[in-house]
Amino acid sequence: MNSSGKNESNPSSELEQNLEILRQTYFFSVLPLETLKIFAYLCSREKFKPGEYLFRQNEDDGQAFYIISGKATLEREDNSSVKEIRECHSGEFLGGLTLLGEARRLFSLKAVEDTICLVLVREKFSKASEQFPDIMPRIFKAVAKNIDTWEERFLADRADLCGQCMANLGVSLI
Amino acid sequence: MEKADIPVVKRSLYSWVFADNLKLQLLLLLIIVGMVFARVLPLEMQKRIVNQAINLRNLQLLLTYCGVYLVAVVFNSALKYLTNVIQTLITQRATASMRKALYHHILTLPLGFFRKTQPGSVVNSLVAELPMPGNFVGMAISAPVTNVLTLLAFAGYLFTLNPLLAAVSLSIYPIVVFLVPVLQKGVNRANKKRVDAARKLSSRIAESITGIHEVHGNGAYRIENQKYDRLVKRLEKIRVVWSLYRFGVKTANSFFVSLGPFIVFILGGYLTIKGQLELGALVAFLSAQEKLYDPWKELIEFYQVYQDGSVTYKRTMEFFDVKPEHAIEPEDREPFDLEASIDVKDMSFVTDSGIRLLDGINLSLTPGEHLALVGFSGSGKSTLALCIGQLYKYTDGHVLIGGKEVSHLTKKDMVNNMGFVAQSPFIFEGSIEDNLLYSCLAKANGNGQSGKNLPTLDDIIAVLHQAGIFVDILRFGLNTVLVHDQNQELVKTLIRVRENFQRDFGEELADYVEFFDENQYLYHSSVSENLIFGTANKKEFDDANLCNNAYFVNFLKQADLNRPLLSLGNELARQTVDILGNLPPDAVFFEQSPIGPHELGEFKILVERSKRKKLHELSDGDRQKLLELAMRFVPGVHKMVALPAILEDLILEGRALFHDKISEDDPNAVTFYQVSEYIYSQTILNNIFFGKTKSANPQAQEAINQSIIQLLIAEDLLETIIEIGMHFQVGTKGDRLSGGQQQKLAIARILLKHPRILIMDEATSALDNKSQTRIQNLLETRWKKKSTVISVVHRLDTIKNYDQVAVMKAGKILEIGSYNELIARKGTLYELVGKK
Repeated sequence: MNSSGKNESNPSSELEQNLEILRQTYFFSVLPLETLKIFAYLCSREKFKPGEYLFRQNEDDGQAFYIISGKATLEREDNSSVKEIRECHSGEFLGGLTLLGEARRLFSLKAVEDTICLVLVREKFSKASEQFPDIMPRIFKAVAKNIDTWEERFLADRADLCGQCMANLGVSLI
Repeated sequence: MEKADIPVVKRSLYSWVFADNLKLQLLLLLIIVGMVFARVLPLEMQKRIVNQAINLRNLQLLLTYCGVYLVAVVFNSALKYLTNVIQTLITQRATASMRKALYHHILTLPLGFFRKTQPGSVVNSLVAELPMPGNFVGMAISAPVTNVLTLLAFAGYLFTLNPLLAAVSLSIYPIVVFLVPVLQKGVNRANKKRVDAARKLSSRIAESITGIHEVHGNGAYRIENQKYDRLVKRLEKIRVVWSLYRFGVKTANSFFVSLGPFIVFILGGYLTIKGQLELGALVAFLSAQEKLYDPWKELIEFYQVYQDGSVTYKRTMEFFDVKPEHAIEPEDREPFDLEASIDVKDMSFVTDSGIRLLDGINLSLTPGEHLALVGFSGSGKSTLALCIGQLYKYTDGHVLIGGKEVSHLTKKDMVNNMGFVAQSPFIFEGSIEDNLLYSCLAKANGNGQSGKNLPTLDDIIAVLHQAGIFVDILRFGLNTVLVHDQNQELVKTLIRVRENFQRDFGEELADYVEFFDENQYLYHSSVSENLIFGTANKKEFDDANLCNNAYFVNFLKQADLNRPLLSLGNELARQTVDILGNLPPDAVFFEQSPIGPHELGEFKILVERSKRKKLHELSDGDRQKLLELAMRFVPGVHKMVALPAILEDLILEGRALFHDKISEDDPNAVTFYQVSEYIYSQTILNNIFFGKTKSANPQAQEAINQSIIQLLIAEDLLETIIEIGMHFQVGTKGDRLSGGQQQKLAIARILLKHPRILIMDEATSALDNKSQTRIQNLLETRWKKKSTVISVVHRLDTIKNYDQVAVMKAGKILEIGSYNELIARKGTLYELVGKK
């Protein structure tokens, strides 16, 4: 929101800060700096008060979030009971997949503190990526690898806790 | 469609020569005859001046012949100019007619054609290529007739002077006719080699530049240089040969043409000495001989124009020689009012390349029934909708609407009875209103009743609500800047709304709005707004003129702002050009840019210049540009540069200084922001806020919208603002609208048409949940039993209340029936729904 206030000591622009952030995400870090700059430029910063939703279950908001500061909880509603899945903290990047294709959210994300996020919307992402056709293969590779790593780690750390869900493992096989 | 009988793509190039220009061409012929006469006459006068006037020393005769000579020359020039005028008229008229006729034809071509054709090649054909055949049409009569007649007239005249001399001097031309084409062939051969060699060289360069890291990494400079140098050497040789041939053609031409006077001198001189030729005749001969060259040259040029024109014409017309799949309008009857029943029997659709996209489709809808088409992507559901809507032509079986075969219906029959919302609808440049009325106007135009029977504002507002785009358009209205001193009543009411806003919502929305506070820097306002903190009443204080205004520039210096702002402008220009330099002028990219798409080129050059110079070395013009740019800087929007704290303080102090200074020097120049005054330089919304919004996040927008709508309703202003919002310009391809807004607008324009049959191809896919539900409810409550609806559905939770659901896979309908039936059957739909 009104994030561009005075810069008392550090004169780096918001764009430069955004660029630094994007370079830390698995999704964008694979891109050349020139392209990354454009995505950093197309990002905006949004502030959410406690109780406000970053996104809601069943909606296709088409946004990717990077939590710059604050805290939010991931929730899922099933048969009108809301379960808290986990907490998301600053430094977390959510929604790479929403940039790539239309999909309705399976979870809601609710701010529990004053939360500032870097937001990139799908429409801007697609228009910019149309200009650089060679970046998509890189992003697809990064996403595929990330899914694979995720499941590999899950299998190593948590598979034994899975119980009945075991049969549904294998998201990396899609 | 100008010539209804022969399609434009079948017309010959020659048919355009007389098509609309018969009278002009005949007039041209007349003028040409006069002109040729006026060209020969001076030759005769030359002869007489020498033979009679000078020889007899008769001043009277000299004056008379010179007079006739002068008249003939003036006459010739005037006629020549007139021919050019007529030729231009014919050329441009023919080009315009071709452009129109071809474009009208292209728009009717089947969608399949455009899947294989790039928009660029259509643009190129219409814009760049058609002028060439147009040129030929303009010259088709005048050039050959003028030049052949002139040649014949000159030659004839020469023969009357002396047949022997005429025959000998004209004998050069057959040699030229033989020799020049031979040399020209050599030129063409060499040219082809040159193009090939240049292409090889280009790809060599491209390869080494792309792989430059490898060259550096291996230090392979010598290897790359050798490869490159070899090609350059080869190109050099080819270019030498090519140039030699070209000069050969030129030299041969000019040699033989200069040979003419030589023959005339040697043979003519001999004949004159022998008394067989008069001196005057010799002079006339020399002149005529020289003048033969021009018509000759023009004929050769004309031949080139003919070649280019006919080849281009043929290629262009053959490219677009595709038949429209359906007639545009009925010829011998009124368009049908169709009953809204739909019957599809054994229908299949096979592409040109033989792929069966739909296979043996059967379904039947009574008027007012609603059908949902579901299935995975690629199952053929969109194709089926497009076939029923006559956008694709099915290849087998039948589609009957109201008992009539769709493939036999004209486009107008379909348009009058059907509305189609496409998956990715297209919005055209123009206002919201233009786009809203697009379908209604198209229907009305087609029926010859343009402007009549268009929906009223009430109809429109109702539909805006139904399509869920009302709030968006309200927002556009609120973001409009009103024209000074117009809308007096509205302005008064808005001041009242402002008071109410501050009273009712001021605190609640304080987080989302940056109020105009004299003592605070406004991060969501520009530097100039921060400095002036008011509205200019005089032109020289408008944003556009500010940096041109000596008073203001002087003030900047006084406030120690000139240099820091210049440096800010420089940084802004550098960063913006760095980011946006190579991007297309799409609104999405320029929303957060202080430089507009049309100025980018100019700033690119400026940035290049400023890289090599210090700020004080830049020209006054460049510095003014940078200062102007700095004036536009809004820290809350233009994130590529940070506002240094010291500059912020300077600007705040500058605001106070400017206030004092201008109040003293020119108190009427500026009206400062005051809660009691309307601010004409700001949007309606900013006026209501007496500030600017800080956030684009949906919650903030929602809260703002709620409060503003409440306030506007209280003052009965909602409709007024909507009317203003309808004039919002949506940009090229609607790029100033979001995807959701485009889709809602597309739905609204079809709803406004009230079609008997509505086909929606995933028409709500870009909408949020609420809007999707709203439109679904609308279909179920207002359209059920009234209009037949076919909806390609992407979300299975919306299909319960459809009369029929058809589940598709691989181009076939697997099952069709009511939702409950299909679920009870536990077939594919059951699986699909269960999976979700």
